Amino acid sequence: MDRRDFVKLGAAISGTLVAARAAGQALPSQARPLPAKPGPFPGGQVRVVTPNGATLPMKEKDGLKIGHLVAMPVDHTFAPGLEGACWGYNGRVHGPTIEVVEGDRARFYVTNRLPEPTTVHWHGIILPNGMDGVAGLTQRPIMPRETHMYEFTFDKPGTFMYHPHFDEMTQMALGMVGMIVVHPKKPKGPRVDRDFALITHEWAIRAGMRRPDPNEMKDFNVLTFNAKAFPGTEPLVVGKGERVRIRLGNLSAMDHHPIHLHGLSFEVVGTDGGDIPVSARVPETTVLVPTGSVRVIEFVPTESGDWAMHCHMTHHIMNQMGHGMGVIVGANAAKIDARVQQLVPGYMTMGHTGMGDMAEMKMPAPKNSIPMVGGKGPFSSIDMGGMFTILKVRDNPESEDGSGWYSHPKGSVADKADAAMMQADGVDPDVKF
Amino acid sequence: MNLSRKAQYILPLAVALVTGCSSSTVATDVRDVNAFLAAQGRNIGQRPGAGSAISMPTEDAWENDGAEAPRILAKPLTADDAVKLALVQNRELRASMYELGIARGQAVQAGLLPNPEIEISLRAPQDPFQRLQADIGFEYDLSALILVPLRKGVADAELEATRVRVARDVLETAFQARLAFYDVQARQAVLDLQKRAFDAFQAGYAAAEELHRVGNLPDADLAIHRAAVEASRIDVAEAENALLDARERFNVAAGLSGQQVTWTIAGPLPPPEDMPVDAVVTEKKAITASLELAEIGRRMEAAAKRVGLHRTQGVMPHVSGGFHGEQDGISWELGGHVTVGLPIFDRAQGRIISAKSELGALRERYVAAAIGVRSSARMTQNRIESAGKRARHYQQALLPAREKALAETLLQYNAMHVSVFQVLDVQRRVTETGIAYTETLLDYWKARASLDQILAGGARPRALGAVSTGHTSSAGMDVGSGAGH
Ligand SMILES: [Cu+2]
Repeated sequence: MDRRDFVKLGAAISGTLVAARAAGQALPSQARPLPAKPGPFPGGQVRVVTPNGATLPMKEKDGLKIGHLVAMPVDHTFAPGLEGACWGYNGRVHGPTIEVVEGDRARFYVTNRLPEPTTVHWHGIILPNGMDGVAGLTQRPIMPRETHMYEFTFDKPGTFMYHPHFDEMTQMALGMVGMIVVHPKKPKGPRVDRDFALITHEWAIRAGMRRPDPNEMKDFNVLTFNAKAFPGTEPLVVGKGERVRIRLGNLSAMDHHPIHLHGLSFEVVGTDGGDIPVSARVPETTVLVPTGSVRVIEFVPTESGDWAMHCHMTHHIMNQMGHGMGVIVGANAAKIDARVQQLVPGYMTMGHTGMGDMAEMKMPAPKNSIPMVGGKGPFSSIDMGGMFTILKVRDNPESEDGSGWYSHPKGSVADKADAAMMQADGVDPDVKF
Repeated sequence: MNLSRKAQYILPLAVALVTGCSSSTVATDVRDVNAFLAAQGRNIGQRPGAGSAISMPTEDAWENDGAEAPRILAKPLTADDAVKLALVQNRELRASMYELGIARGQAVQAGLLPNPEIEISLRAPQDPFQRLQADIGFEYDLSALILVPLRKGVADAELEATRVRVARDVLETAFQARLAFYDVQARQAVLDLQKRAFDAFQAGYAAAEELHRVGNLPDADLAIHRAAVEASRIDVAEAENALLDARERFNVAAGLSGQQVTWTIAGPLPPPEDMPVDAVVTEKKAITASLELAEIGRRMEAAAKRVGLHRTQGVMPHVSGGFHGEQDGISWELGGHVTVGLPIFDRAQGRIISAKSELGALRERYVAAAIGVRSSARMTQNRIESAGKRARHYQQALLPAREKALAETLLQYNAMHVSVFQVLDVQRRVTETGIAYTETLLDYWKARASLDQILAGGARPRALGAVSTGHTSSAGMDVGSGAGH
């Protein structure tokens, strides 16, 4: 397969993804592309996979790569049950990942189908000042129905992002962001087998609304990887012993996200400023991705299984959680229910024993909302949502599409303790303190 | 007016002689008033098209047939029951009947012929040879006799006027009983709703207490909920008192006392009817039917006749005549005489001035009353339309919207966007709207009863009162405005 063929294949895959999204099929098992093979990039590097996302198709003409970004309103599904009236690029939220090679000269046409002007800023790319996309400072805004042209050379390899720099508060809050991957001509370090791009983002969508609130400053209740909240997030399938790279970008309005991976430790190998020297790398299990920044991590998993990967801010792994309810934990619900139900028949006090069971309660919710909804797990419901996904480490990743659960070797799952064994080990469950 | 005029002018003296001493029991008056109301086709105190006219019971029925009231009171009361009770029991109405008797007595009295006077005198002469001498004189006041038909005419006109006034009393009594009953229905509904609001505050306090107990609520919040409960308790007490007051007003209107005051009501005020009424027709009908105008008309008639009576009296010489017989011991000497008082000085000028002025005053009152009746008809009409529209809006738009807001707020609660306290707040708004609806409904039914009253010829609806402005509460955007998380 030569480069030209790959570009065609990428376009085909993108098209499939768009169709899947239009049909509202965002379940992990249905939206996943085929596992990547080592790609056609210099040094035999694999192409980047954008879970729940796509790669921007680019034409090549006389050594110039040509891409087209269309800024436009998009109806987007965050997870089954939650639709958003968003803005994005090329019919999707977020925009497609731009994937090029160091030294590529590219021309981007940007068409504005928004009701207000826009621009594109190429976050982290070093380019001529007039191509930087800051409305007023370096260019005229792209007016509605206009198409502007950007042209520059990707001189430096690395991971970058793009987003508007006109009314960025609104346009980014409504979803207009995307990733840029510039592969090095001559890769350094060990060969990478899997390469993923994930953008973290946060949204304010009150239960029953469709439009994310761009004015919100602190109450964000939909937290996403690549604009999907769990259980809408597509898992990352990797092979045991494979070298995996994850590029994490953050264009959230207000929050940094400490992204934590289970079952392994990793090293932060780069930022949107460039590679981190090998001597400066430290083992981590959590990487803080600041707003407006990229962190690239690499690891080699040694344990097979379904491993959680999530933001470690506990409110960021809830779906559309509200906090107007007050603290109920510990209360005797019967005392409250008896009186309130006489007046409001459908009422039921909840949260008095904690919130863990709420995902399974199936309380009637406002339309277009997924409060307290988690995902289905192999043992019980997973009472998490939001910025949560699953790293699936498999012995034979090529045969997995990510929809199946890991089957544990016998005796390797924590379970109810044997009473006789407890006694023998001197463990008294009724111990007093 | 035709009734009495005919009766007056063809009334011959002889008839007066015969019937003058007939019985004047209240039963007759009741019969007359009922006949009058029936002749006018007035459905007093009945919903239009609700069937036959209610009539006053006779005095015998009042005193002897005591079964009617207990029969009505045995079951929960409707508004029509309320009217029936009032007609059976209201003592003021009975007093009016006796007042009608007073007028009737005066009419009877006025129709009586003057009594003849006979004078007998005996003389015992001192002369022993002369016999006892006797005089017999017969004297009759001819002027009074001639004036009887005129006096009778005046009294009959007054009696007619009084009969119309009593008919008005009957309508008014029925109307007041109906209004008092509507008020009881409204006050009962408001009390029930205030209790529901109280339940909501109590539920809020119970939740607050429980959350406070387990350390989830500060003292300040608990105290605020407690204060709300205690304030609501006063609202309930006020509503209770308003209901008791309304019941007492009805007891008075329906003449109930003793064991009778334990009645219950059959249900709340019904929703408004969709009954368009033509304002022009209403105004015309109101004028035609008005008993107030009819009464003034009859009083004017009486005043006019009184002017005639006094004029005749003034110009007519006072004539009395008689026969005279004298027995001088041997024979009777018979003779006659006529006395004529010359109308030189007293020609009843003063009484004529008074009577003319009375007529003038009544004529002005008549016009004033007609203006009042037309205005009342329009006002009632407007009130029915406005209150009806508002009541229907409450029933068909605002109440369902509040219910929907409650259902949606409950969903927001499920989404943890609002607390149980906000759910109860929205629930109370449904209750508040129910109270405002009830007040508007009462306005509507009062206006409806007033229109019936006006079209039956009853008094102007003083009881309509000021337009009630229900507490519709502001939109309620304060709930759940905070975004989630
Ligand atoms: Cu986070």
